[in-house]
Amino acid sequence: MKKFLSILGVLLILGCDPFVTEFEDLSDAVMYEANSKSDATYDSGNVKVVTWNIRFGIARFPFFGDSCGDDVILDDATIEENMAAIADALNAIDADIVLVQEVDVSSKRTGYMDQVQYLLDNTNLNYGCYASMWKADYIPSDGFGRIDAGNAILSKYELTDAERIKLPLRGDQDDLTQYFYLRRNIVKAKIPALTQGPKDFYAVDIHATAFATDDTKKEHIDKYVETLAEIQSSGNYFVTGGDLNSVPPGSEFDYCLQDICPGEKYEDENGNEIDYHSIDSLTGGPHKEGAYFNNFDGERDLLLPLYDVYDSAIDSASYNLTEHFTHAPSTSMIDDSTATMYDRKLDYLFTNGIWENTSSITHQADWELSDHLPVSAVLDLGGE
Amino acid sequence: MKKIIFYFIIASLVFGETKKWDAHSAYLLPQKRWEMGLFQPFRYGYSESIEYSVHPLWFFVMPNFSLKISQGDFAGFTSASQYKMVYPTPFLNMIAKKGTMGIIAPEFQMPPMLGLSASWLMSKTIFPFISPYSLIGLDLTLKAGLDLGVTFGDLDTRSTIDIPLVYHRLGVYYNKWSIHTGLDIQKNLTQKFTVLFDLDIKLLPGLAEAQTDPDVSKLMGEYSLEHKLLLIWNKSENFRVLTGYKFVMGEYPYGSDMRLLPYIPMAETWVPIIEFQWARKKS
Repeated sequence: MKKFLSILGVLLILGCDPFVTEFEDLSDAVMYEANSKSDATYDSGNVKVVTWNIRFGIARFPFFGDSCGDDVILDDATIEENMAAIADALNAIDADIVLVQEVDVSSKRTGYMDQVQYLLDNTNLNYGCYASMWKADYIPSDGFGRIDAGNAILSKYELTDAERIKLPLRGDQDDLTQYFYLRRNIVKAKIPALTQGPKDFYAVDIHATAFATDDTKKEHIDKYVETLAEIQSSGNYFVTGGDLNSVPPGSEFDYCLQDICPGEKYEDENGNEIDYHSIDSLTGGPHKEGAYFNNFDGERDLLLPLYDVYDSAIDSASYNLTEHFTHAPSTSMIDDSTATMYDRKLDYLFTNGIWENTSSITHQADWELSDHLPVSAVLDLGGE
Repeated sequence: MKKIIFYFIIASLVFGETKKWDAHSAYLLPQKRWEMGLFQPFRYGYSESIEYSVHPLWFFVMPNFSLKISQGDFAGFTSASQYKMVYPTPFLNMIAKKGTMGIIAPEFQMPPMLGLSASWLMSKTIFPFISPYSLIGLDLTLKAGLDLGVTFGDLDTRSTIDIPLVYHRLGVYYNKWSIHTGLDIQKNLTQKFTVLFDLDIKLLPGLAEAQTDPDVSKLMGEYSLEHKLLLIWNKSENFRVLTGYKFVMGEYPYGSDMRLLPYIPMAETWVPIIEFQWARKKS
């Protein structure tokens, strides 16, 4: 009887796991390994790095959450096909370190595929660490259901000391929406094989807020800058990048009319529907969430602290060139039959070392695999 | 049709044992007595051998009907058969929508679906003894049955609602059939207080998978286990209050999961079940 009661007690405690997972300021990332590892020994050469928001393997699917689509759940066969194409693209780039954003590990919308494990098992990458940015038993909206999605660092070499660093929640949401909403993060890991003399080597991956209309994005970038400064001040190396959801200084900053969906209106706090860009003659407001990059003072220059201090894969002379644009909403169209492949830059790579000259590429040929494009660069470690 | 009418006449001639409040047992309600609760269906003793029930609040969005028929004594147990019918399509299409409370993705249209269920229930009092209060023992009920999910159109497998308590109840429409079994044990603690322990298992057998992968777990398919423990205060023959918990565990499309219910998500806490039940006898 005692045994029965003990088992029952344990089950009842386990049955009280949080419905929505919240995170401490700092917590361990989830570690992964490929089921079958490829032979990869670092032999003092340079290190190739990629950042890519893979949009959880749904490619250009008209998903309701980030485009003008109405659909929520893609079929398993198409997801498998998309993930295979993403794995092929990564194999073609042949990076040593891959910084991934929007990767699902157990979500209804992607058939509960563990995409981190899939990428490790289908690329030449061997190790991974994952930090969830959205983990809930059930999102009771739009048929979303269960979700576990986040950021991951994948590497040919072993990762250690992997941390999930919490980013502030959006400040422009009511409590109920915020409870079920994303909890963004930075994921950071050490790569001992790449240690350069006394300098440890870190990879840092971030996905900053996309839709906040207050200054939450500034808080995210500030925390990111602080995290990188800590590594720098400790005398260590880092490569970093991600989807910063920020345009480069000097870029166009108002994409409302490009991103607007047919018939879409802005809804004010009283539930009245009004046209975008119809009220505020000074700012052109109201604006569409995620399509306007001047919500607060300084937003247009938000990335300057990164460009001023660190080496960027795509330098300031090039970052506003079309050939380095990395994103367009998946349903944006030039005309009835021509998709907008890319119209802005949101994805970046930085290091406190030096990127090899002419090695940086925005892989625009991969535009059909996500609504973001991979950016790669080679870190020059020759001198150490 | 004649056969069905004949069966009902014969069944109604079998004098069933009646008992108040025992919704999950083989005992039927006394004739003309009705019982209902906040969350429980309306039950009515139509005769000494037939009892029917409906969920009145659900009825207009999810038509449902249940019939319990006494089958007399069987192997020393009081026995009854129970038949349930439910048409969940209107409700499921109501929650297949955009926005808040869109539980099913809006791209899915649920086809007409009919759920049919047949169960056999057997009840008896075990370990009876005399106490200062009354005859007290353990009231044991065993039950088992078969469920059929009939769909009249294409049902997209991506439209499942993957949460404990719901997934396996709707799973019968995707799997076409399921098996359920369970037991209830009820004990009077005093004249006013009763405790109810309940355990139910539901299997969605994966016959198709078992043919390609002859593994027992594939044959059993996705299972769910539901357990309930309730403390009941019987204020009178006409009113009682129940409190306790429900525990659900099972195999889901994403893996194993368990949940103690009722659970309040935003407070991240379990709260006890509070249920009020009323009864009357029609004169």
